[in-house]
Amino acid sequence: MHPALQGLLTIIVGVGGCVGYFYFSNQLLDRVLFPARGPNAGRNINRANMIRPWLFLAPALIALGLYLAYPVVETMRLSLTERLPGGGSKFVGLDNYTQMLGEPKFWEALQNNFLWLLIVPAMSTAFGLLAAQLTDRIGWGNIAKSLIFMPMAISFVGAAVIWKLIYDTRPAGQDQIGVLNAIWLLFEGGFGSVLFLQIIPVLLLAAFGAAVAWLGYALIRPLLAGNRAGQGAAFMLLRGLAALICTALVVSALSGILKLLTVSPPYGEPQTWLTIPFYNNFFLMAVLIWIQTGFAMVILSAALRGIPEETIEAAIIDGANPFQIFFKIKVPQIMGTVVVVWTTITIVVLKVFDIVFAMTNGQWETQVLANYMYDKLFRASDWGVGSAAAMVIMLLVTPILIWNVYNARKEMK
Amino acid sequence: MKYTLYAGTTAIALTAGAVSAEQLTVFGPWLGPDAENVQAVLDDFAVKSGNDVRYVGSDSFEQQIMVDAEAGSAPNVAVFPQPGLAAGMAARGFLTPLKEGTADWIRENYAAGQSWVDLGTYAGADGADNLYGFFYKVDVKSLVWYVPENFEDAGYDVPESMEDLKALTDQIVADGGTPWCIGLGSGGATGWPATDWVEDMMLRTQTPEVYDGWVSNEVKFTDERVVAAIEEFGAFARNDAYVAGGAAAVASTDFRDSPKGLFSSPPQCYLHKQASFIPAFFPEGTEVGLDADFFYFPAYAGKDLGKPVLGAGTLWAITNENQAAHDLIAYLQTPEAHEIWMARKGFLTPLKSVNPDAFGDPTLRKMNEVLLNATTFRFDGSDLMPGGVGAGSFWTGMVDYAGGKPAADVAQAIQDSWDALK
Repeated sequence: MHPALQGLLTIIVGVGGCVGYFYFSNQLLDRVLFPARGPNAGRNINRANMIRPWLFLAPALIALGLYLAYPVVETMRLSLTERLPGGGSKFVGLDNYTQMLGEPKFWEALQNNFLWLLIVPAMSTAFGLLAAQLTDRIGWGNIAKSLIFMPMAISFVGAAVIWKLIYDTRPAGQDQIGVLNAIWLLFEGGFGSVLFLQIIPVLLLAAFGAAVAWLGYALIRPLLAGNRAGQGAAFMLLRGLAALICTALVVSALSGILKLLTVSPPYGEPQTWLTIPFYNNFFLMAVLIWIQTGFAMVILSAALRGIPEETIEAAIIDGANPFQIFFKIKVPQIMGTVVVVWTTITIVVLKVFDIVFAMTNGQWETQVLANYMYDKLFRASDWGVGSAAAMVIMLLVTPILIWNVYNARKEMK
Repeated sequence: MKYTLYAGTTAIALTAGAVSAEQLTVFGPWLGPDAENVQAVLDDFAVKSGNDVRYVGSDSFEQQIMVDAEAGSAPNVAVFPQPGLAAGMAARGFLTPLKEGTADWIRENYAAGQSWVDLGTYAGADGADNLYGFFYKVDVKSLVWYVPENFEDAGYDVPESMEDLKALTDQIVADGGTPWCIGLGSGGATGWPATDWVEDMMLRTQTPEVYDGWVSNEVKFTDERVVAAIEEFGAFARNDAYVAGGAAAVASTDFRDSPKGLFSSPPQCYLHKQASFIPAFFPEGTEVGLDADFFYFPAYAGKDLGKPVLGAGTLWAITNENQAAHDLIAYLQTPEAHEIWMARKGFLTPLKSVNPDAFGDPTLRKMNEVLLNATTFRFDGSDLMPGGVGAGSFWTGMVDYAGGKPAADVAQAIQDSWDALK
């Protein structure tokens, strides 16, 4: 049979089966089990109504149990066992976990995942918010939006292949087909290079450092002035912690400036971007940010449109400038949506696999947890450690997932 | 006599296949030009047997076949580049033994037939030894490719010993050129070309017995003799002046793109070490023997180890039994199946009954001479090691090494992963 016909038949059988299931199971309930007639009609109607929701839920529950709950339990079991040659398995307790914790690749993966987790959701949400705000009131905003949204339609592997070409390297003297190297080779060490690669980044870093320093000061001010607002101790602790992070960021910005001023970049040499340890992580993250910005933009754009006009009008009449309107009026009102977008992207990031697999395969210190798991499962064919890695990923995702659902529900109310 | 008998049964099997056409899926590691070559062979089989034959290739064959087999959706026939991986799958019961008589046929018709039988024979899930893999397409790995014209222009001679080769390498650098093109990139299999280097270096610095011990892990990876072989490779690959694009480019350059540097003008490099299949990836219209040629990757004249040759091959195994799969294995025992690919590029075969005139280019005969002149022949070590090492940590370890990690650390990591195998 032709595959298209097969597909059509499957759709008909599937949809027909669903409709049939609901129709006939309800018929069975109402006509045979608890008929709404005879001496117990009232009681039967009540009972039928108590059972009906379960009838509707049953297919979903069974599917979820089979495809979600069972694999989780089975993975847990596998992570505690070791496969014996020739079939069967043996309970080994936490051996797989200890073995995993002893592997440097695992820690590298965990560390990289943490980096991804910090940077990708933040950048995607920030760029998305920026794009949503900037395209909101201009004539060709919709065209810009569709362009930014388009990467969402590309699969992760497809995007990885596209970006691999951007980072591609050819030996010096050959035409570079990688855009990044082509641009890099334009810099030859003259004034333009110093301006673009040293002065401007230094200024940007300085601006970033100053902004963070100001934020840190704003956070710490109530502490220095004594607790007049009467905030809780936990809240004050949080402020102190945030201020500490700010201090660390300022220090790293300052050291970055120092490094930029003293470094002499290898001008004229094509760089193999994906093999530069540590920084290659960021080249990989760029791919995901590129994809996810569109998603963040669409959701946040809808949220921005939902802000009551009166609040903005009132702010304008009160003399607020555009920055104040954006940061003090608009953003606080869509904070809930920002959090949902942020956490949703966070979950995507925790599961990131395709991009790393297709671009570096975890080499050159770019390993991430999901790729590590795949490596263990299908390369070393070590199901124990692979399942243990899967459990770690699940443990990390679960709290964020719960928080995400909680926030999304709050949004809906 | 026996041969005609088998040919007869093959013909019957093929006609029988024609009566009941089946779908046959073949999964292998070949992409690009090689995929076209294997497709030509399979097309011929499809026409002769009437089956619907579909070939799919993947860069990540080694992992994908595991996923597919574990998931119960294995292809009918899988083409393994690594006997070690096939042995692991046979032990888990994923492979179907080949028909009785196949082993006899190989012994009878293949050069050094018994060794090919041994390489394809593994213990199954029940612990009994069976022949699971049929070798078809063999590669000689100890070859260095060069462009004769460039050598003539620069006045270089083909080196006869490893000492000469190293002197030539330095000579090219002194003349302002870059001697080597080395590329390790290969998708999910990135790193494997470096394992060939290390194996060739093992054979050139140690006795074959040490090599065999290393492959079975009696000689540990951390053994100083192994570490020394890794460093022999590093002497070429980790020297910025020796490799096109610098040492940093080695790990990220795709092995299929790597030889192209030989043919640019001015040449980006003069030498490229790669197996006999590589002409398939030379620029279109390159005539091997004229535009490009090869010489034997020489042994040290100062060491009394003879002329070792490293080789490899792909073995075809049945991962999901049906009649068409057995028919395909039977078809591969006909000379025509070998001659179709021989007429193309990059194919060597141990089958004695093929017509040598069928070779697409005369250099393939020269490769056979390399094989015949060998005092030691060893199968690619990484392909014989368990999949987790030979198709896993050895590859990734070599990428780390090419990236600058010390050889001892890399060797330790690979040995750890071998110890952790269950």
